[in-house]
Amino acid sequence: MLTTGVVGAVTDPWIRWDWTVRHLDVIGAALAQHIELTVIAVGLGVLIALPLGFLAWRERFLRGSVFSLTGILYTIPSLALFSFLIPFTGLSILTAEIGLVSYTLLILVRNIVTGLDAVPAEVREAARGMGYRPLKQLLQVEIPLSIPSIIAGVRIATVTTIGLVTITALIGEGGLGSLILDGLIRDFKTPLLIGTVLSVALAMFADLSLAGVQRLVTPWARGTAAT
Amino acid sequence: MTFIGQVIQWFLNGSHWTGDGGIPHRLLEHVAMSGASLLAAMLIALPIGIVIGHIGRGGNLAINISNIGRAIPSFALLVIAVELGFGIGAVPAFIALVALGIPPMVTNSYLGMREVDADVREAARGMGMRERLILWRVELPIAIPFIMAGIRTSAVNIVATATLAALVAWGGLGRFIVDGLGQQDYPMLYAGAILVAVLSLIVEFSLAGVQRLVTPVGLRTSKSGKEEEPLGTALDTAGILAA
Amino acid sequence: MLLKRSYVLGATMVALALVTTACGSTGGTSGASSSPKGTITIASFNFSESIILAHIYGDALQNKGYTINYKDKLGNREIVGPALENGQIDLYPGYAATDLTFFEGKLGLTADASSDAQHNVSRLNAVLSAKGIKALNPSPAVDQNAFAVTKAEADANHLTKLSDVSSVAGQWILGGPPECPQRPFCEPGLKQTYGLQFKDFKSLDAGGPLTYAAFRSGQINIGLVFSSDGGISANNLVVLQDDKHLQQADNIVPLIRSAVDNTEVTALLNSVDSKLNTADLTNMNKSADIDKNDPTDIASTWVKDHGF
Repeated sequence: MLTTGVVGAVTDPWIRWDWTVRHLDVIGAALAQHIELTVIAVGLGVLIALPLGFLAWRERFLRGSVFSLTGILYTIPSLALFSFLIPFTGLSILTAEIGLVSYTLLILVRNIVTGLDAVPAEVREAARGMGYRPLKQLLQVEIPLSIPSIIAGVRIATVTTIGLVTITALIGEGGLGSLILDGLIRDFKTPLLIGTVLSVALAMFADLSLAGVQRLVTPWARGTAAT
Repeated sequence: MTFIGQVIQWFLNGSHWTGDGGIPHRLLEHVAMSGASLLAAMLIALPIGIVIGHIGRGGNLAINISNIGRAIPSFALLVIAVELGFGIGAVPAFIALVALGIPPMVTNSYLGMREVDADVREAARGMGMRERLILWRVELPIAIPFIMAGIRTSAVNIVATATLAALVAWGGLGRFIVDGLGQQDYPMLYAGAILVAVLSLIVEFSLAGVQRLVTPVGLRTSKSGKEEEPLGTALDTAGILAA
Repeated sequence: MLLKRSYVLGATMVALALVTTACGSTGGTSGASSSPKGTITIASFNFSESIILAHIYGDALQNKGYTINYKDKLGNREIVGPALENGQIDLYPGYAATDLTFFEGKLGLTADASSDAQHNVSRLNAVLSAKGIKALNPSPAVDQNAFAVTKAEADANHLTKLSDVSSVAGQWILGGPPECPQRPFCEPGLKQTYGLQFKDFKSLDAGGPLTYAAFRSGQINIGLVFSSDGGISANNLVVLQDDKHLQQADNIVPLIRSAVDNTEVTALLNSVDSKLNTADLTNMNKSADIDKNDPTDIASTWVKDHGF
């Protein structure tokens, strides 16, 4: 592996441990900001996707447009999406979060609809037969049964968001992305490597934790092979 | 003039359509780079995923490596390519884009091949079918929707990350966005974003059409026709990463 | 019961989010608490020298009891200038001629920066006073735009000054930051003062790794660097002499909002400025960009060494 830096003939090792040890606070702050941006985005995403998904599930004629809209938002590259916002919301955390939340919507809405769809008709019948009113049925039967699907969606959305947060470094936020950007601007391998490794580690950690949560809330699925 | 007016003015400006910095050239750069890296990624990823899927061994390793690969932020891939000594511009961009495109296609083609019922495979073998024929005639047709989904995911990711490649001194449509940010030229920034968005949507929807076309009729899922990869399967663990 | 479990999960996630938000630090606030001397927000441009200078000013002020807020790598002048104008930041280390030309351009005034630093600074004060901004004393330390070529290229074509380039400019590619085609001291200036019209312009960075890499791979023939850059000789580049004086006196000068300024601040920053010189800048830049030392560490060393 080449160790020559881009600038000059000085070798820049891929990891300078002395730099790392002296900058644990900077690294920690970047990691904390990364988690913060992710949690806010996924949290808000869920808050928006729940009513949106419910609507798309209930009113079939809306389903196409909701999926189309969230699908379009999802397909637009993040830098472009942030660019659409910048002239209006500036280089700010608001811009970052609006963009990040938009990316979660397709996945979350789709999983909410799929989850609600998957509630067996007999269960719905039984609930109705037991005298459950629609709202109670929704809250106490249909949504709980959809939770595995919703959590699966939260899982994908979280991993996706963790990757996208790095790009917010280009609009003044960043999380671990600011370490990566620092690596580019200063031709400096150590923060680049640390930012990348932590980003991957965070994504894997989130994925595994949420997989665990998924298993926890589906006690009936534990017997079968989990993914 | 309103901001939208300024953006429209930018598009109406003839000088923005000529030369190396003009829209046609940047668009061509973007499409060519995306196509080339997608092709290269396919040439690497599909054989790996298909063969592993056919053999049925090494799948977990392949998926795990793929997951780690997909978790690497696209932005980081670009900078790493530069820092590995590939210079700036087209070369590190190409390398990063190929690296980015490989994981989704490996995972999806592997899973697609595994979708084939063990019984079906057994029956084919029992009938005396040679391995190669089993792969081509039995497994691949069933795997095609998954493979196409992987290609589609990679294609969209590649087109999106090619936008970022402007940060490492490459061209493409991202140039309008990065330079717009640098010059605080918001009409150019917006125009670039529009171009990128439109291209991404065209790629996504045309590949969705191709996916539908190559899906054997008997295997076409769903109601809305817009349904993509099945959810709730191991595909979830792979995740879908946008750039 | 399933429902209760999911409520607990939900509550836990919300709690986690709140805790992380509370613990996460996103700003760059230093200093223990707000002192009676007030807070000053200092910004820097997107390169090491600016960060170093911002922290030199900041450390010196902090040692006198001010609370400092940093906005490092805020962006280029197109972002930092307006930020100062609308009070988002209070102070940044400016460059006399470039800042003067920038603000004059925004107001539609004719550019009149000269090679006289004092002249540039008094013009700055004239132009900016209406915006409540002051330019303090210029430092002897200078960092201005310079155009470099590879040593090999210079030797091959016998190039020592920018005028020499006119014979080859038509086949050459110029590299610079994205704003170079708009900046009077960059591409337009080369055209106007030297008659240089290049084959193409490549958008890179402001004398940073992308520019050096572009030189290495031969993607540009001539590129914008900064005269105090640490990487020029290390990358086998030579700066071409500015024989027609396109660049004017770009001495370091603090640009500060009057609302935040007072006698003590002015005296302190002027004193710091007087002790800065170009050799210092070059050494500090090399320390940051080549040796990868922290700009903030480099700044505090300088501040200590010079008794601030």
